[in-house]
Amino acid sequence: MAARIDEFLIGVRPQREWGWLVITYLFLGGAGAGLYLVSLYLDHAWAGMLGLGVLILGTVLLLFDLGRPDRFWRAFLRPQSSWISRGCLFITLLILFGALQLAPQVLGLSLLRWESGALSATIVKTLGATLAILVMIYTGFVLSPSPAIPFWNSAFFPIIFFAYSLLAGIDFLILASPWLPGPSLDLGFLERLQSYLALLCLLLVLSHFSVMSSSAVAARESVRLLTRGRWAGLFLGGVIGAGLVLPLLVAWPVAWRSEVQTVFALTVFLALLRLLGDYLFRFLVIRAGLYDPLL
Amino acid sequence: MARYGMVIDLNTCIGCNACTIACKAEHATPAGIFWGKVLEKEVGKFPAARRIFLPVLCNHCKNPICLEVCPTGATYKREDGIVLIDYNMCIGCRSCIEACPYGPRAFYEGDGAYYSGMETLFEQAKQDAPEGVVMKCNFCVDRVDQGLDPACVQTCPTECRVFGDLDDPQSKVSRLVAERKARPLLPEKGLEPSVFYIGG
Repeated sequence: MAARIDEFLIGVRPQREWGWLVITYLFLGGAGAGLYLVSLYLDHAWAGMLGLGVLILGTVLLLFDLGRPDRFWRAFLRPQSSWISRGCLFITLLILFGALQLAPQVLGLSLLRWESGALSATIVKTLGATLAILVMIYTGFVLSPSPAIPFWNSAFFPIIFFAYSLLAGIDFLILASPWLPGPSLDLGFLERLQSYLALLCLLLVLSHFSVMSSSAVAARESVRLLTRGRWAGLFLGGVIGAGLVLPLLVAWPVAWRSEVQTVFALTVFLALLRLLGDYLFRFLVIRAGLYDPLL
Repeated sequence: MARYGMVIDLNTCIGCNACTIACKAEHATPAGIFWGKVLEKEVGKFPAARRIFLPVLCNHCKNPICLEVCPTGATYKREDGIVLIDYNMCIGCRSCIEACPYGPRAFYEGDGAYYSGMETLFEQAKQDAPEGVVMKCNFCVDRVDQGLDPACVQTCPTECRVFGDLDDPQSKVSRLVAERKARPLLPEKGLEPSVFYIGG
């Protein structure tokens, strides 16, 4: 392993430790939990199962990112201070609890009777929703308390990751809708929801950039990289343009018309654009993380 | 109880990297990994251009963020303030590297021999870290426990480094901090480092 020359220079340094496995986990983990949350609202057990599957896939990737995956269980040991420990607990509880919650509907287990709309069903759904929200936002808390990388040191991240996770979860649902067993989905409703969520994501991302552009040296450099530097094309064209603005412009006029249900190709196209934007957003947030210069 | 710390006089440092090599020799750190190193930067314009040097190492902070974010407890702090890593506990998540603003930690991916695939006798005898864990400066804890200074302090030809007990107001480090207005790097991060710098 050769040392890089910039490791010996005083100046802004990029973070290099977290790469595509962590980025893909952020994307899949958030999307899986978001999809599970939406499935509770729609009362669609198979969508919930898909959400848990996506979450498990992302978690497996995260496991491979560890230097010592054989010791993964140790990551649960310090929830009193570490957001990674807390996240491990949230993910495990969501997978276990989600499977238990969905079992009656998916497997027809009559012993577990909380699918019937009774008080027990409300309690189970509330617990499931809480765990899903925690999984969606905890990654924001992994990044935001760190004083080392000013671009991440922002209270916006848990909220941004929540909005993006919900957006991606619904997009996974739209893409999987033709093959999902269970009740049919109102794509028009989902597309309207996505328009509001995309607008929220746009406002949150722009607000974060507005704050960061007058923050510490490294944060300003991160903003420069993303808006005028090396990553500007991917950020402005991919995250903002293709991922948020274009779907908004295309979907806003048609999402309130009833024929959206029948224009499946359009909703698939928009879902793919938004998912691309979501993945690129997570990629660029991680890659544009820079440390402040020491002097 | 002592709280160990270091003062580095940047006015005296000549950027010779003797400390970097002493650290390598003391700990046999893997190829490409430096627990201590000397950063540099060009400042000013011709004819007044010059290079400034900044020796860096783990700051053994009073409030170590690396310890706070570690999900396993692999990073821990001794009563004397020295922050260490238990290689048997580390899972290689690198959250500590991401959280530390000073950059002294490194992830060891394995094959740390300088001659790839062929460990020298020195490396066989001294390298003890398993692959897939994070490593960093330990203030030469074995030497400190024997009453010796860390290798970088002992080696420095200009004596720009001083090691000692920050809690003892009569120690040389405490007096340098008080009298020479030594300050830590990035104090605004709130981590209260135990490494202080004079000048620069």
